[in-house]
Amino acid sequence: MISIVLRQLGVFLITFFILSVLAFSLAYLFPGDPISNTSGVLMNHPHYEAVAQARGFDQGLLGQYLAYMQHLFQLNWGVSLQDGASIWHEFKVRFPASLELSVLAMGLALLIGPPLGILAAIHYNKPIDQVISFLSISGYSIPVFWFAQLSILFFAVLLGWLPIAGQVNPLFDVPLATGSVLLDIAISDMPYRGTALLNALQHMLLPVVILATVPLVLLIRLTRNACIEVQRMSFVQGAYARGLSSFSVLQKHIIPNAMQRVTPSVSTAFSLLMTNTLIIEIIFSWPGLGQWFVRSIYERDYPVIQTALLLLTVLILFVNMMTNIYYVWRYPRVRRELNATR
Amino acid sequence: MITKVKRFFASAPLLLTLSACGPALPPNTNGVLYCSEGNPESFNPQMVTSATTLDMTSLQLYDTLVEYDAAKGSLQPGLATDWQISDDGHTYEFTLRENVAFHHTDYFTPSRPFNAEDVLFSFQRWLDPEHPYHSVSGGRYPFFRATRLDQLIASISAPRPNVVRIQLHQPDSSLMSTLSSSFAVILSAEYGQQLLDKGLAPHIDQRPIGTGPFKFRHFRPDVSVYYQAHQEHWRGAPASDSLVFRITPSNHKRMLMLLTGDCDISPYPPARDIAWLQQRDDMNVQQSLSPNTAFWAFNTEVPPFDNPLVRKALSHAIDRDALIHSVYHDHAVRADSILPHTSWAQLALPDAYQYDPEKARALLAEAGYADGFSMDIWALPVQRSYNPNPRLMAEQIQSYLAQIGVTANIVSYEWRSFRRLLAQGKHDSVLIGWSADHSDPDNFFRPILTCAAKRSINNRALWCNAEFDALVTAAIRTTDISKRQLLYERAQKLLAEQVPIVPLAHSIRYQVSRRTVRNMLPPSLSGIRFHAVYSDHGLMEEAAHD
Repeated sequence: MISIVLRQLGVFLITFFILSVLAFSLAYLFPGDPISNTSGVLMNHPHYEAVAQARGFDQGLLGQYLAYMQHLFQLNWGVSLQDGASIWHEFKVRFPASLELSVLAMGLALLIGPPLGILAAIHYNKPIDQVISFLSISGYSIPVFWFAQLSILFFAVLLGWLPIAGQVNPLFDVPLATGSVLLDIAISDMPYRGTALLNALQHMLLPVVILATVPLVLLIRLTRNACIEVQRMSFVQGAYARGLSSFSVLQKHIIPNAMQRVTPSVSTAFSLLMTNTLIIEIIFSWPGLGQWFVRSIYERDYPVIQTALLLLTVLILFVNMMTNIYYVWRYPRVRRELNATR
Repeated sequence: MITKVKRFFASAPLLLTLSACGPALPPNTNGVLYCSEGNPESFNPQMVTSATTLDMTSLQLYDTLVEYDAAKGSLQPGLATDWQISDDGHTYEFTLRENVAFHHTDYFTPSRPFNAEDVLFSFQRWLDPEHPYHSVSGGRYPFFRATRLDQLIASISAPRPNVVRIQLHQPDSSLMSTLSSSFAVILSAEYGQQLLDKGLAPHIDQRPIGTGPFKFRHFRPDVSVYYQAHQEHWRGAPASDSLVFRITPSNHKRMLMLLTGDCDISPYPPARDIAWLQQRDDMNVQQSLSPNTAFWAFNTEVPPFDNPLVRKALSHAIDRDALIHSVYHDHAVRADSILPHTSWAQLALPDAYQYDPEKARALLAEAGYADGFSMDIWALPVQRSYNPNPRLMAEQIQSYLAQIGVTANIVSYEWRSFRRLLAQGKHDSVLIGWSADHSDPDNFFRPILTCAAKRSINNRALWCNAEFDALVTAAIRTTDISKRQLLYERAQKLLAEQVPIVPLAHSIRYQVSRRTVRNMLPPSLSGIRFHAVYSDHGLMEEAAHD
């Protein structure tokens, strides 16, 4: 097990190295001055010389790369070219906001995706299966932004039930601490915390549900197919033959074996989710990474693009690694295969 | 597993109750949500140019010495209760209001009320290059440079703690108007000194302290600006306990948020939705004439435009009412003078620029161009508040000119090259405009039509007329309003005879608010005042129960 974790970590570090070299070289690949591109400090700024020196621009490429990595780990990510705001400070409050959305959406998808897939599989080709399959196929084919607009039109504009912008009604004056609105409300000592929490949940409902559909439909289809395949296996037939009830066959044999096939796809579902988080954040004016990243592209804010790109890819890599480790830990057979032992 | 699924479906009604009764609000709030078009550039209006920033900062956080009342068209006391102008027009003396409290926030506790020291501090900041704050936050004061106020004021002093004296180099009757503009705000000298001692000078523009009806609490870029009521405001506490600007650049998003109650007030609704919004019972659409003029300027230095007859002919060749319909979707009024209808000095001369192709042809023949000629029309490559679609306007003018035998080519460059080439005078004619910075009519004459303006490149017609210069200079040297009116009328008649520019339109600014918002006034030149505005959520409940 330890060797597998180390191997995963090794792959993670190598990929991270390649990504960091790519991110570092973006400073040269973007048009303009590489020092400004990476630090956000313009040439006419009084600190420009000091910044150039701190970032190793008087040395060769290797020295510059090392200085870049040092700045990266010291959270010294430079400032935005547009408004001069510190990228780390901006990231610090935006990342939890994005994470809040994606974790809740992923949780929702994991909570109801596999059960629905199993439900469909045990009613294979019956009406329940057909309804679930129909829903998951249509969910798969509807673009998220269109679904979001439709939901806004129906639930917010027509019915007036839900708000459509931001994390919470600003009149609540929730002090900004972590960036995640639920945490901020929980740790604050503001009046009407209960109402504020309700308001925040209402703000969250539409984006989370819409965002959850992306991994949800994927998980439903994968679980359903895996269950159907496992059901046809001879050991399942054998279990039935030994006289086990269909419930215990399902619980002891089908589900664990089907989940083994689904688990590796969770990281795919997560990276799909992250891409869609960016879109959903813009539609719902959610103050997360997506809005920030897309605006930086519009405004050619190179230091922000450079950092945000690296951080997003590292996040997806990290989730991928953790999924793999969990997969190996949870399923001994996979572990033995990887170790080539019996 | 099946029970698990059942349990999930059992929890679904709970999710629905989350939403069933509409968004939850803080109890007893009367706070106002204003959806703004962008982030504020700074919290100090002295340093900005954009109307968006001005709307969000100056009238809410600060006060000015005098205020311009658009409804009455006159100046009202602000932080100055009274003012005297010396007979020679060189010295202005202001008596200051007493017991005006500065904001008390978690980062500043004022120890004294407002006095002359604060006025000196605020004015010296942009006036005196040696002032410790002059170069803080970039050190550019575009309004004061554009109006040349920094060159007009010789000195400013405080003979007594509640009196301020301003000495001018030469008499200038537009001074009071520039002082009433939202740029000429009063900051706190005590706060400035405290920040200077702590070495935190730039904070003065980021964590503002003023005397206005609202005080700053926090600002999160791209999300919102939060203000709290300043209970000790000298006019009395504002009607609402908080004022929030939500930053929403897209006008469609702003309108959706208005419909869902995520905003109470939104400026600049999408043009094609205005008629629909006006029909809704739950929305209140307000409008006001913007203090701007779109015009068509001829380069009076190149033939044939050096001939007034040609310029006059072209002015009669175009149907401006049709342009207002097609280019502005009727969200503008026809300009019959360079001055908008809201100015006290305006003299409407509708006949001077009337659509009359016969007369245009006759004038062209008289000027010796009976067979017409070929010319360029430069169309602004960007949208401006005074012109939503310069390109479309140019195309329509092109077709009007074809009817009198003039061939027009439309020219458009990228914005920066456009401005550079325009400044070099490479154009035949250009569709451009002017937005006023303050209420004085002088702002429409001296900055854009005089010989001095020709040197400072804002005179797009490159027109220099000694008689006109004499008239507008005389008007600025006197403070007698009836004398000024006569002089400006003569200046406008001269413009109608010489036609260096053809005034086209003054645009209309719209603002939509929910019916629950009370005491909202239409936007005016000086910005939006929120002192009396509050949101009546009780009213919304009532409407829901009907």
